Amino acid sequence: MSDDPRKKMKRCLLDLNRDALLDVVQAVVAEANPEAAQDAVDAIAEGLQIVGQRFQEGEWFLGELVYSGEIAKDAMERLSPLLKSGGAESEGKVVIGTVAGDLHDLGKSIFANYATSAGFEIVDLGVSVAVEDFVKAAREHQPIALGMSCLLTVSAGSVGKVLEELSRQGLREALKVIIGGAALTEEFAQEVGADAFAPDAVTGTDTIRAWSGE
Amino acid sequence: MNFKERMLTAMNHEEPDRVPVMGLIMDPATVDQVLGKNSTNVVKFLDKPVVGRAVQKLLDSNWFWDRMYFKNFSGALESATRLGFDANWAIYAFMQIYKGETNQKGAALNDVFGRVWTMGTDDRGNLSVDYSQALCPTEAAWEAWVEEKSALFDRVIRNATSFHQMLVDAHGDKIMPIGYAAPGIFENSWQAIGFVDFTKLVYENPQFIKRVVEFQTDFYLRYLEGVMQPGVEIVLGGDDLGQKTGPLMRPDLIEKLYGESYRRVADLVHSYGRKFVFHSCGKIYQFLDKFVDWGFDGIITMEPTADMDLGRVREQVGHKLVLIGNLDVSHLLVKGTRDEIDAAVKKAIQDAARGGGYILSAAHSHPYVDATRLQWMVESAHEHGRYPIRGS
Repeated sequence: MSDDPRKKMKRCLLDLNRDALLDVVQAVVAEANPEAAQDAVDAIAEGLQIVGQRFQEGEWFLGELVYSGEIAKDAMERLSPLLKSGGAESEGKVVIGTVAGDLHDLGKSIFANYATSAGFEIVDLGVSVAVEDFVKAAREHQPIALGMSCLLTVSAGSVGKVLEELSRQGLREALKVIIGGAALTEEFAQEVGADAFAPDAVTGTDTIRAWSGE
Repeated sequence: MNFKERMLTAMNHEEPDRVPVMGLIMDPATVDQVLGKNSTNVVKFLDKPVVGRAVQKLLDSNWFWDRMYFKNFSGALESATRLGFDANWAIYAFMQIYKGETNQKGAALNDVFGRVWTMGTDDRGNLSVDYSQALCPTEAAWEAWVEEKSALFDRVIRNATSFHQMLVDAHGDKIMPIGYAAPGIFENSWQAIGFVDFTKLVYENPQFIKRVVEFQTDFYLRYLEGVMQPGVEIVLGGDDLGQKTGPLMRPDLIEKLYGESYRRVADLVHSYGRKFVFHSCGKIYQFLDKFVDWGFDGIITMEPTADMDLGRVREQVGHKLVLIGNLDVSHLLVKGTRDEIDAAVKKAIQDAARGGGYILSAAHSHPYVDATRLQWMVESAHEHGRYPIRGS
């Protein structure tokens, strides 16, 4: 067994062994060394990348995706105060919500959970979010992306209304829009002019990560 | 053959005179369209000062829910009969006005299992009631909840029995009411706790989760007996094990947590000489062999929007499961042309109906499913579904 804490943390995360991971994290925290803390954060981020790959390849499932995200969040909370910047650097801000007429929460929450553990700052507007509330949040938070979730076929029309209103108010060009949910498809995203469709939380997070690097 | 013989023949993997057609829950909006009625959406009155209080009181009464569910599903069965269906799925639920804090907008209800449901109105004024919040995120909260609600669990069973009895008495000579025991053991376990907390507890407090599953299984078995009591011959169990891209949880973990429970469900239904059909949304290819192993007789839904292909399912399970589904409700039965519907019905029959064991239905129901298109679906089924099935 390797004693390299970086490898050990990654392994603990991938074994879904929360207690073991937090023991290693605690040892790093005890060192009070910002560089070691940064190494630990990087190791956890690498572990999450592997989690994402396993999920997308069908090797892991939503339950494991969610639990690994929770473990990673616990570890990050302990490590963040030690980092030079006084906290883990945010990958960027993302505004999300379920569209008007749709009260479903699960898919959006799983995305929020995974994206947060991957370093994004999530502004969650909740469910059945009115068009004007999406637009207001886009103006106020100036996120790198706006995410809309929609489980119901009957509320899919709300996605287009938000996009239209963003364009009308001159906010659309500077903002990437990503959509996801059971009622939506890649074709629908193209039809309404969204920038991307995400069938799952990992794809959504990867897409936004690529945008944040542009 | 009459509707009942047709359904039961198909359920026994034998060829009836023609492919049976079954309706799903049948949304009240679709029912109104068939019956030429215009139902009232009570949510719009909740904000009114005087009427709103009266509506709140109504929503908090057992009498209202009993009456409302019977009225809705009596309408659904009448509509399904008029459309030419052989069977229709009926559902009973018990709700109360939720008096605690809610993290969602809109009027909220809670069920006996510890879920909050938020009531809303869609663009066309249709009522929507959706799961929105878990009330038992910890072991202590869950224990307190089930203790507080213990008397209500028994009442839910009694109500479900009388609900199904009334439907059988009123419609059983014209159509098969398909009994529904739901939500199922998996949903009743996790939705009261919340998916994130439930997942954490699966790994961090497995003994508690085991106790939750045992509680829900024991309740569910009693509930099933209540649903079967009025003579319902096919009973549906509903548990969404999948989401758009795959299983919610690892299939072998589901086996470990729920396999024995599902086997007990199938055994119980079979001990009454009835058939058990399982509903799950999502992409569920990885569960098909488990459904066979658990002893289920059939599955219903197979969502095309979750990449479920009827031909592929038939190829995977052969005639070990009766297949019920799976016409698309994202476009086809909402805005599809008559030719599109005809082609989809023909394809479904070609993919799954040879040798019996297939019942045509929509993949799901929602307010925008169009009654005219359901009618076209039935007409196409009558045209292409006569046994022996010909063509390729």
